[in-house]
Amino acid sequence: MLQNYLIIALRNLKKFRFTSFINIFGLTTGLTCCLLILTYLLYESSFDRYNKEAKNVYRVERTFLNPENGALSLELGAVSPPFAPLLQSDFKDIKKITRFLPASTTPMKWEDKIFNEKKLFFADENLFDVFDVTLLKGNPAKALTDPFTVILSEETARKYFGDGDPLNKVVRFNNQFDCKVSGIYKAFPPNAHLHPDLLLSFNTLRDPAVYGEENLRTNWGNNAFYTYVLLPDGYNHKTLEAQFPAFIDRHMPNDRGRFKQSEGTFLTLRPLTDIHLYSHKDDEMEENGDIKRIYTFSAIALFILLIACINYMNLSTARSVLRAKEIGVRKVVGARKWELIGQFLTESIVVCWVATLLALLLTWISLPWLNQLSGQTLSLSTLLNWKIIGLLMLIPFITGILAGIYPSLFLSSFQPIRVLKGVLKIGGGNISFRKVLVVAQFAISIILIISTAIVFQQLHFMQQKSLGFNKDRLLTIRYNGALNNTYESFRTSLLADASVREVGRSSRIPSGRLLDAMDSQIDRGDSLAPSKADIKFINADEHFLSTYGVHMVEGRGFRGEQGTDTASFLINEEAVKALGLKSNREAIGKPFRYGGRPGTLVGVFNSFHFESMHQRILPLVVQEAKPPFGYANISIKVAGNIPAAISHIEKTWKQFAPEVPFDYTFLDDRFARLYESEQRQGAIFSLFSCIAIFIACLGLFGLSAFTITQRMKEIGIRKVLGASTRQIVQLLSKDFLLLVLIAAVIAFPVAWYTMNSWLQEFAYRIPISAWVFAAAAIIAALVALVTIGIQAVKAALTNPVQNLRTE
Amino acid sequence: MIQLQHISKWYNVGGKPVFILKDVNLLIREGEFVSIMGPSGSGKSTLLNVIGMLDAPSEGSYEFMGQSVTSMKEKQRTELYKKNIGFIFQAYHLIDELTVYENIETPLLYQNVKSAERRAMVSDMLDRFNIVGKKDLFPAQLSGGQQQLVGIVRALIARPKLLLADEPTGNLNSKQGEEIMELFSKINEEGVTIVQVTHSEKNAAYGSRIIHLLDGRIESVSENSLKQV
Repeated sequence: MLQNYLIIALRNLKKFRFTSFINIFGLTTGLTCCLLILTYLLYESSFDRYNKEAKNVYRVERTFLNPENGALSLELGAVSPPFAPLLQSDFKDIKKITRFLPASTTPMKWEDKIFNEKKLFFADENLFDVFDVTLLKGNPAKALTDPFTVILSEETARKYFGDGDPLNKVVRFNNQFDCKVSGIYKAFPPNAHLHPDLLLSFNTLRDPAVYGEENLRTNWGNNAFYTYVLLPDGYNHKTLEAQFPAFIDRHMPNDRGRFKQSEGTFLTLRPLTDIHLYSHKDDEMEENGDIKRIYTFSAIALFILLIACINYMNLSTARSVLRAKEIGVRKVVGARKWELIGQFLTESIVVCWVATLLALLLTWISLPWLNQLSGQTLSLSTLLNWKIIGLLMLIPFITGILAGIYPSLFLSSFQPIRVLKGVLKIGGGNISFRKVLVVAQFAISIILIISTAIVFQQLHFMQQKSLGFNKDRLLTIRYNGALNNTYESFRTSLLADASVREVGRSSRIPSGRLLDAMDSQIDRGDSLAPSKADIKFINADEHFLSTYGVHMVEGRGFRGEQGTDTASFLINEEAVKALGLKSNREAIGKPFRYGGRPGTLVGVFNSFHFESMHQRILPLVVQEAKPPFGYANISIKVAGNIPAAISHIEKTWKQFAPEVPFDYTFLDDRFARLYESEQRQGAIFSLFSCIAIFIACLGLFGLSAFTITQRMKEIGIRKVLGASTRQIVQLLSKDFLLLVLIAAVIAFPVAWYTMNSWLQEFAYRIPISAWVFAAAAIIAALVALVTIGIQAVKAALTNPVQNLRTE
Repeated sequence: MIQLQHISKWYNVGGKPVFILKDVNLLIREGEFVSIMGPSGSGKSTLLNVIGMLDAPSEGSYEFMGQSVTSMKEKQRTELYKKNIGFIFQAYHLIDELTVYENIETPLLYQNVKSAERRAMVSDMLDRFNIVGKKDLFPAQLSGGQQQLVGIVRALIARPKLLLADEPTGNLNSKQGEEIMELFSKINEEGVTIVQVTHSEKNAAYGSRIIHLLDGRIESVSENSLKQV
């Protein structure tokens, strides 16, 4: 029986080549999109699961609140150093605690090789008990025990030592101290949430010259220590979390006045396996994935598959007239309804099998290309797992049934004597169902067109909106302690060449995040009173704002008086508002205390975009650092020939900091990178919407071709009666165009709603404009018109006599 | 074998019933060869469809081999009809996508006959009707007469007791038609009851009884003296 079904399925595929092509092409494309997204989804949800203890490891995260109003002010994935030992001693349930402290970009030297290392962490000696790190050389029990020891990833070791034995070699850290290589580890897999190149023993930090025990015990403000706890099997981490507020009040010195510490900060535990997809802290170690993005892409892929299934349904039911006789005969010779349903489902499943196999092939071919587009490192091997293969085997059946169930119910319900007499009437009911399907296809396509347009508009807006300063021709270099004593002459040497306009130092640079904040106090009449404002700060020297071309709207800039007892503070216009000052002018000269440092507000600068357009412009105070600490970046404004300027800067750098490799970035590149994920999203969106509309049109093409063939006699009669070609084209296109319009009406509110909520992610966003909607509808209508028009014109131009004779 | 009592069939057109069959009473015994004649629109085909259980009468009772068809459930009716009735059409109605062999095999598939047995039965029939050489051809590659022959073989493959033929020679030339009629006679002699609808006096004469329909009523029944059962 099945064999007979298969034979007829294949013969039908061959006989109706064009329809088969549309069906298989559409389903293949839809399934390819689904497979690609599935690969992506599986990969994204596999993060950190390779660890044996993955289910029992939690990251301790710290959130800051403004205790005045309970508003979130900062969400960090890391905590300060005193927490770990206190957690360990207070909570016996915690089996292990291990930490990573990222070091900022650091020059590491071995013999004559120096590299700027960006992925360098201090790690606790018990790292190996919590995370699965494979030590290729060295002893895991001791590799990170001694201070001033370091373990390297294989790649890093090769970079320094080539094929030589790296063990016990001595490398120099930032020209500060030497450390001995005590092990080589296998690089963390791509689906880990961090990828260190070098891991220094945490005990190194205990040396007073590096960080010091004192700091480790008391520095509650340095929230840079990524802390992971290992809990027993099946332990409910919520029970631990519940005890944290009391823990905080027990241990943290209370410097919040009338508030308890726990009212201003709290700790939470995040499962290790949730970090990649669900965590969006202000200080993630690497850019994480996003579950919302996965949902969006999955939905789009399923939509494309749905459009392809609709094509199948439409074309199969439309062609039912051609199958009617066969159905009638089969019924007459004894087929029962369910046997016919089985036959037609077999056909759709055969089509879906062909499509699935082609889709697997296509996925394999297109994956490298998609990786390039999306910046992922996906591989088809993600699918090579028995569970997934089992699922893949189900795909043709599920899709086949999805696409085939309606046609098979429809076809199998034909009355044999009717169809055999040739008086098959396709009832009004199914014609309108087919119309509903076409409307659905076009509604999806229109939604995708609108979404794509809005994503690109927003992208364009973010890149074009004035930042409040000029980001062009700005170079940034990591500051290095080697310049501590020679910075002024370094700066003078840089400015000696006309290509360098201005040089400034700061703790953070625009395009980065503003994560540092301290309490502030502002003059209220006769005394200083704590302000309720949440004000971020950066340290910057007197040349920083002018390097960026940020202008003072009131008052003056710094005068280089750092080191004196009373500091000068500059604030932005947002801070003026946040401090409750009536005007910029009122701010000038006001006594102000920030983080316990007394001083005066001397100037107000224009509110410029320090962070990306995702973030609102925050109240910001700029203060001068107390040398020698506090600066991490040098910004240089250049003019004229950029390569010449760079070579001048490099030459000067080599002269003043020979032990530090010269590394620079352009500020506009850094800003562009902020929108990379939206850029990619936009690219994938437009690709998917093109595919969707193409498949929808292919279906429309098949459907209209068929409808027109069915109406050839009518067209012939109309022509004989004197209808013009234009009138006939109109007649044939009108119905379909109406469907596109209905689709638009359905698509508009859906698209508006989804895109409006997408835009909420951005603090600065475009208004949704009506013309995008109109344009999307017109595009869809035009595409549909061309699709149908080609055939309508062809039909209208045929000699009517031919059509009439065939009857 | 077949007993029709007060069978009527009508459609409502504009609120008024239009009768296709009107109070038809008919008894057909096993082994008979009955021809139904009448002008276009007299209800011949409808009567045949009612007998073949493809169409339900609006009124009246129908007994087939002692069982009341009119009070049966759809499923039982299909079973009854699948086992006992073979159908032949004017337009042959072979499935274009299947070969001669597969066309003949189809009814057996729906009766869940085992593969080996199917092969034996089809081969046997192909032999008997001398179409072994054509078994791998598609309907489009055959002449009208040959297609109808395949249609007959298909109708007979499941060894039905009753063969219903709706103008089986309507699309054939007279020589082909004659051959088909000869074949019918032979089948009838082997014990298969045949009811055929025809326009042609000559073909009707192959039957043992001729029923003349006019406007949905049985106008007359003539016994064929040459062909008495």
